[in-house]
Amino acid sequence: MSFTASDLAELRALLGDDGVLATDAALFTYEADALTIERFRPDVVVLPRSTDEVAAIVRWANAHGVPVTPRGAGTGLAGGATPMQGGVVLSLNRMGQIVSVDPDRMFAWVQPGLVNLQLSQQLAPLGLYFAPDPASQQVSTVGGNVATNAGGPHCLKYGVTFNHILGAVVVLADGSAVRLGGEAPDAPNDDLLGVVCGSEGTLGIVTEICVRLMPKPAAVETMLFDFPSIVDACRTVSAVIAAGIVPAAMEIMDQHTTQLIEEWLHIGLPTDAAGVLLIEIDGPAESMRGQVDAVVAHAKAHGTGSIRIAKDAAERAAIWKGRKSAFGAYGRTQKGFYIMDGVVPRTRLAEALETIVGLADRAQLASGNVFHAGDGNLHPHILFDPDDPKAQADALEISHEILRMCIRMGGAISGEHGVGIEKRPMMSEMFAEADLATMERVRRAFDPACRLNPGKILPGGGGCGEGARSAREGIPARIGAMFPREDAEGPWI
Amino acid sequence: MDLSTHDLGLDAARAVDPAGYALGGRTPRHAVRPASRDEVAQVLSAAARDRLVVVPWGGGVQLARAGAPARYDVALDLRALDRVVEYEPEDLTLTAECGIPIATLAATVAARGQELPLESPHPARATLGGVLAMNASGPRRRQLGGPRDRLLGARFVLGDGTLAHTGGKVVKNVAGHAVHRMLCGSRGTLAVLVEASLKLLPAPARRRALVFALPGWALADPARWAPIPRIEPAWLTVLGREHHGLVGGVPDTAAIAVVGLEDDGAWVDRQSAIVCDALGAPALTLEDADAIALRARVTDLPQALGPVCLRFASPHVTPAALAPVADQTWMASAVFHAPSGGLWLATGTGAAEAVAVLGAHGFTLIDASPADAAAPLVPEAAAVPELRARLRAALDPHGVLDRGTWSS
Repeated sequence: MSFTASDLAELRALLGDDGVLATDAALFTYEADALTIERFRPDVVVLPRSTDEVAAIVRWANAHGVPVTPRGAGTGLAGGATPMQGGVVLSLNRMGQIVSVDPDRMFAWVQPGLVNLQLSQQLAPLGLYFAPDPASQQVSTVGGNVATNAGGPHCLKYGVTFNHILGAVVVLADGSAVRLGGEAPDAPNDDLLGVVCGSEGTLGIVTEICVRLMPKPAAVETMLFDFPSIVDACRTVSAVIAAGIVPAAMEIMDQHTTQLIEEWLHIGLPTDAAGVLLIEIDGPAESMRGQVDAVVAHAKAHGTGSIRIAKDAAERAAIWKGRKSAFGAYGRTQKGFYIMDGVVPRTRLAEALETIVGLADRAQLASGNVFHAGDGNLHPHILFDPDDPKAQADALEISHEILRMCIRMGGAISGEHGVGIEKRPMMSEMFAEADLATMERVRRAFDPACRLNPGKILPGGGGCGEGARSAREGIPARIGAMFPREDAEGPWI
Repeated sequence: MDLSTHDLGLDAARAVDPAGYALGGRTPRHAVRPASRDEVAQVLSAAARDRLVVVPWGGGVQLARAGAPARYDVALDLRALDRVVEYEPEDLTLTAECGIPIATLAATVAARGQELPLESPHPARATLGGVLAMNASGPRRRQLGGPRDRLLGARFVLGDGTLAHTGGKVVKNVAGHAVHRMLCGSRGTLAVLVEASLKLLPAPARRRALVFALPGWALADPARWAPIPRIEPAWLTVLGREHHGLVGGVPDTAAIAVVGLEDDGAWVDRQSAIVCDALGAPALTLEDADAIALRARVTDLPQALGPVCLRFASPHVTPAALAPVADQTWMASAVFHAPSGGLWLATGTGAAEAVAVLGAHGFTLIDASPADAAAPLVPEAAAVPELRARLRAALDPHGVLDRGTWSS
């Protein structure tokens, strides 16, 4: 299918000339999100400025029988914003304003193209912030965060995006704009916003969001511990939680990762330890001393070697820069790698890590592990030589085995990146047929003609999963294959 | 024609006396208490085949106020599904069958120093499934989040008997459509919840309740309340004069405000100082077990309001929001959980007027009992009821799960 000049003229009439992109260069840019290995060319890219314009585009697409794929910043790692069936890519980047802020009642209405970090930066003078902080927050948008129900290091304590969304204006598949939820925490009837959040743009296009704001914590303490074994680091995490402390963040990096970061950035991470554990606590100043002492005591009881407590904001920022640069550090190896987003129950972290290392060792491949330990969200990387097809095949197989391990342990195949294109085949391993059919029923009720982001999430089998046919017919799922350049500015994990 | 337990795919031993399940004076033709989720699926599958109308029952806390269904074939009592399936304290998660009372769950996790993040009136009767399906909450609604915020995943039976599962038991999970979250507030009209996984919290080390007797002017002064939301009290409830007897030894004033502080000791002390700076000395200070007991009585209150009880939602976060309506006679019955903006009151015959007055000040009616007391609820754009209808047709294609009980 390709669009005619008259199609484009109709779209330009709706959005103006600068709201419609159809040059080869523009279409190429929107062929994929950060999962660049899967590329599908859209027929047109539209850049609406308002809810009315989004609704007009959806109605136009309905009338012409073409699919619409919404897109935020395109930082997604699962292909969620990739237009699998061509058609319209609807970029929300020109809808990036804060509409209103109510500092007393602690909520704000924002447009979906607003960059996550800009929201918190603009709220800072009011002593408020938006808690979800995905690692991509310098670039990713609030709308994209809603679509993937994004987490981030601090969701251990504060919850994921869904927990910070009070209401939204949503353009439904028929082109009507409706409000789900609102400024009040409760609304009558079934919670439609609850299922729209995390639906990766398949149930509706969110065009305004009422976000819940939090008072900025008065105090923050960031601690770094090293351990002779990664198992001890994992056990420290469980012990802290069992003691009734919920830190703001608990992150673990293995030696492979810390060595790569340190060679590059020289920020003083311990490189001789098997694992490094970053724990951040925040809250009222009165509560800090007792919690720091307790955390340190648990780390010592589990054999920590050195203890570093950030003295000031600059040192805290340096420690976090190390954590957030893991991906770029892997890129410096000039290797390809698969990255996963599996989740296991926190108490099985140590066992999961041993399994991952064992799988990689058996195939003689290097692996790196950096993960949100507090909530069991693993981001294992399996590195391979991109010129060695066998190594790549082995790495892919290990990636699948790791996600199967997550399922066996009672976890999930995605903690925060979403299913998108990438993990559709694994959905059949995590869910029974009746579960997937139930999701499909809900999806059909929202979008009877399967016009919104078709082909995503559900693993084929007719209906809205039809676009996944290629996945069933022998094109292997390529779990997060990356061939990154040396680039600390993303992608982010 | 009589309906037998066998017709519903169950052994006769699962039959219970229908007299215990009357709604609005109407008794069901049959009542069953299945012992497993598969048996629940059998009942709904048989009901779909025979086009029967089923009302799922937990502890009957909310159903006590429901109206009579137009047709009422089967009461489906879920209270035999009462096992804790999995509880791993170090994961801060718990999976349980949905017929278990939330007081049982709360005691289970309290024994390990943790806190169940669900509240409901009459927790010894209110079941996990009932609390989720009714979107029930209590004074700590803002601090704990609503049921939807705590639900990680669930198993549920659709109206055609399909047993399905979405979400999971881990705290981060974006694999697939979160149908389980949509069931929060669905009142058993989309599916029957049979098992749920929850994210727990550690129990706070210290709990304190500061009770203030407020003259009308103090209630209405925004400046007095302004510092309080930023210190995030666990709860802050305003009780109308009618509830004066709930707390002994407090002067009889226009209203009582209770500020609940639940955290570590040092922060609770600091919070107390900030609250007292703003509001003056409390008439009463309750610590730990006494504070918990008062919170429990306050949590039960909305269920005791009658004969007409209205529930409102609002974006307000402090008692000052009540200033414009403080002189209304029905305010004597008010229960206002300020941090989450939830307001309950009893109105007698003046329901419609109360809805209009409060509506002008940011309060939206979200529930009423009896259901026809104060229609309509929030008007929604036409596309939303249409979408809800498509969802019901998709998940309950034969109209087995009763809707009439809750319509208003």
